[in-house]
Amino acid sequence: MDVKYINPFIEAFLSVMPQLGFEKVEKTNLSLKDCNLTYTGVIMTVGIVGEIKGNVVYYLDLESAKKVASTMMMGMPVDDFNEMAQSAISELANMLTANAATFFSNIGITVDISTPTLLYGDQVSVKMNSNQILCIQLLADDIPIDINIAFS
Amino acid sequence: MAGTKVVIVDDSPFSIAFIKGILVRNGLEVVGEAGTLEEVKQVIQETKPQLVTMDMTLPGTDGLECTRAIHEIDRNIKVIVISSMMDDEIVKEAKENKVSAYVQKPIDEEELMTAVNRVMSSEELFRFLSSEYIKIFKEALLDGTNKLTKSLIQYKDEHVCRQEFQSEGLAVIVGIIGKFSGRMLIDVKMETAYKLTASIMKREATGIDEVLAVLGEFTNIVSGNACSIINRMNKAYGLRVAPPTIMHGESVHITAPGYTTTNILADSDFGEILLNIGFQRGDDQWM
Repeated sequence: MDVKYINPFIEAFLSVMPQLGFEKVEKTNLSLKDCNLTYTGVIMTVGIVGEIKGNVVYYLDLESAKKVASTMMMGMPVDDFNEMAQSAISELANMLTANAATFFSNIGITVDISTPTLLYGDQVSVKMNSNQILCIQLLADDIPIDINIAFS
Repeated sequence: MAGTKVVIVDDSPFSIAFIKGILVRNGLEVVGEAGTLEEVKQVIQETKPQLVTMDMTLPGTDGLECTRAIHEIDRNIKVIVISSMMDDEIVKEAKENKVSAYVQKPIDEEELMTAVNRVMSSEELFRFLSSEYIKIFKEALLDGTNKLTKSLIQYKDEHVCRQEFQSEGLAVIVGIIGKFSGRMLIDVKMETAYKLTASIMKREATGIDEVLAVLGEFTNIVSGNACSIINRMNKAYGLRVAPPTIMHGESVHITAPGYTTTNILADSDFGEILLNIGFQRGDDQWM
């Protein structure tokens, strides 16, 4: 996969997270994975169509998701991953992907995005639409967030 | 568009008369007027309009505060701002406050009616989609199963889904993108997935990878067929489907998105099949 498909997601993360109240955002790792991911925690998938087609899957563990939701809600305590917290995390996936779409359009690639679907559970296997998945690992105030990208 | 109920918010009797003239000439029904925040709240509650034209500068309030008050009463009411002020900053604020269109004074009749038509046709398209999509996706699932397995499915339950639900084992998610975006999801027990795969392939599944691939393609076909039918009804929908994402595991919870979806349960020769589908009313139409 072309590296130019990764940058819009990193740029989106670096620009959106500070707006949501995160002070320190950084990219820690970039790796190429083969098809199967297994996650325990919160997973969001967003579809992408247009000049390129695929999916982006975001992942946070449950505690991290609660922390992120809390920061997004101005520090309101989040004890359970309830509807309000789910909605915040869903909106995060939406904002990150929508911003990435804007960064794509800046480099001349037009894409549209679907609404996010949020799931959570234990040992969830995730199969994306490509055998090669690019995984970007990022930190927002030391909270790890994975962004997996697969374009077919 | 004709018969659309409109409330005009403006503090100038001249502007009200002028806007009313245009709207009435074009077949819309002006059901009320308001000039202050209190009047806005009262008139909206009493007349339940589908559309509001909104001035930006009003005594003691402004167009955005009034827009927020209207959407607190009913978030489906469309607001078109009509104001002499128009710059990037104010338009950005209007967008953030869920205004559907922005028209500058002095008002050009054609410009206002183009805005009204675009905003309201979006409304009509969504209403039509909402009334049709369940039937169409059910048909696509029935047809897809029938063509691939030569068997029939029987629908037994259908309800609006506002809460999270637990996956039976395997969930295939397809994002839908177009005039309105949404998602379709098929959820089955792993055992059902294996049986369905065996029936489609006319032999036992070779393993989990094949089952995932078959279920992914099956879901892709169902969602693609359904979206094609909708696009044929009106090409303004322009629906496209993203590739499927497949999740499986123990105790996977699928949360409700911020919009209404419908859960449809079917009996098949292979076990129960759950179809979950919904569209989000976008606030895309912007001028």
